[in-house]
Amino acid sequence: MGYFAESFAELYNADGWIDMGMYIGAGSSMPGWYTVIASVMLVAILVKGNNDEQDHYK
Amino acid sequence: MEDQILALTAELAAVKSAAQVTNTMFAEAYYYLTIPLMVLIHAGFLLYEMGQTRVKNVLSSGIKNLLAFAFTIVTFYLFGWWFYWALPTFPVTSLAAGAGYMEISGLAYASAIALPWGDSAQYMGPNMADHASGVFWGAFALFAATTASIASGALIERIQTVGWVICAIVLGSFAWVVAAAWGWHADGWLVTQFGFHDFGAAGLVHAVAGFFALGILVNLGPRVGKFNADGTANKISGHNLPLTITGLMLIIVGFFGFLMACIILPGEGWSWYADQGTTIYGTPMTLSALAFNVALAASGGIIGAWVFTKDPFWMMSGCLAGIISVASGLDVYFGSHVIIISLVAGMILKPCADWLESLGIDDAVGAVTVHGTIGLFGVVVLGVFGSGIPGLGAFAPEGTVAISLYGQIVGAVVMFLLGFVPGYVVSWLVHKAGMLRIPESVQIKGLDAVKVPAQAYPESMVSDDSDSK
Repeated sequence: MGYFAESFAELYNADGWIDMGMYIGAGSSMPGWYTVIASVMLVAILVKGNNDEQDHYK
Repeated sequence: MEDQILALTAELAAVKSAAQVTNTMFAEAYYYLTIPLMVLIHAGFLLYEMGQTRVKNVLSSGIKNLLAFAFTIVTFYLFGWWFYWALPTFPVTSLAAGAGYMEISGLAYASAIALPWGDSAQYMGPNMADHASGVFWGAFALFAATTASIASGALIERIQTVGWVICAIVLGSFAWVVAAAWGWHADGWLVTQFGFHDFGAAGLVHAVAGFFALGILVNLGPRVGKFNADGTANKISGHNLPLTITGLMLIIVGFFGFLMACIILPGEGWSWYADQGTTIYGTPMTLSALAFNVALAASGGIIGAWVFTKDPFWMMSGCLAGIISVASGLDVYFGSHVIIISLVAGMILKPCADWLESLGIDDAVGAVTVHGTIGLFGVVVLGVFGSGIPGLGAFAPEGTVAISLYGQIVGAVVMFLLGFVPGYVVSWLVHKAGMLRIPESVQIKGLDAVKVPAQAYPESMVSDDSDSK
């Protein structure tokens, strides 16, 4: 769950920064899980939003 | 002597490296700044739409517009960006990576750079070696949100919020994306097979969004009180025309940003050339060309609309129509040519809107006409005047593909279908689920009083036809 590198020195070499994701969970399956969770939240929000809206129209 | 040459060589390498860093940072900043400029389009559409709404519904219109913006951007991140890179060659040739002319599309290519999971996630988040993916994604996400904002205004005062959000997601993260993949990508089959050219997205953003709105309007129906029993139309005025007109001017400001984002800067790994800006097709383009042509088109549209209407609403709509009418060929038109085309667009705008209304379509802000009809007009007009111009840059073998009237007409038909058909189908499904049209009793009472826990105007301004207090 933590940041993927201990030191920025290992991410930088004579040619500059290496080409890779530099965020929490990079190089692991976490970005995919974040995407799944976000997608489920969005669908749930739409369902709740629609239920609330239909209640208003009753 | 040898030492001096070595020292100079090292210094030259350092200077070239510094110049490249400057170029890279400039390119990143350039595209980044188009994003807030394009947010002004949404500020404009928000004002435009709320101004055209009656007092009793004004906040509901604002909520609808804001949610379309938000959901479109989020879903464009989740899957819309992937469609753009995956579909350029579909269904004409293989979906395999490398099947396209420039080999920058296909399922494998899209999955390698445009999915927010797996290995491609490194290009969908912070990456210190990647100064391009985020700003390109951001610009495209704002293009996507623009399509939703365009359609949103046509539907005010009777469409349900969540039903509309579902439609907006289909438009912003799928329908226009397919149009962009086919006609706004160097691998796109409309480009490589037909020479389709649409620099400023008159067809693939404006026409698609405009006719998507028309598809929804067919299922949605008019506002209560719009049409009489004999079919004649009543004018339903918005509550704040100055707000609407100011909103339209903000949209124009944002369009300068939208159009500058359509230029591919030079000197980067993803550039077409080392020393020359281009269109997305790799054909020559400069910001100076935009400065001439966008300013003139906006002015021509205002003047053209003024001739027959004398109405500031239609004059500002004409301003937008003027730009849209020349957007496809902003890279190849001469300034005076732009004046002629945009004047005509401004003149035909209101008659086209009146004709649509005579068919029983209640387009509350004229979006179908301004964006749909004028968008297609712009696409076809380029075919009339631009036939024979090379359709791809110098990287393509000479004579490979050229702009033609035939190609532009084919593109116009495709853009119409990519707008209208998905708009009709998704809104029909939403309608069948009971999530499209707001009940008439609620329309009469006023949407804000029913479902918004806030008041637009605390001094209790209400519409004459509202029973809300």
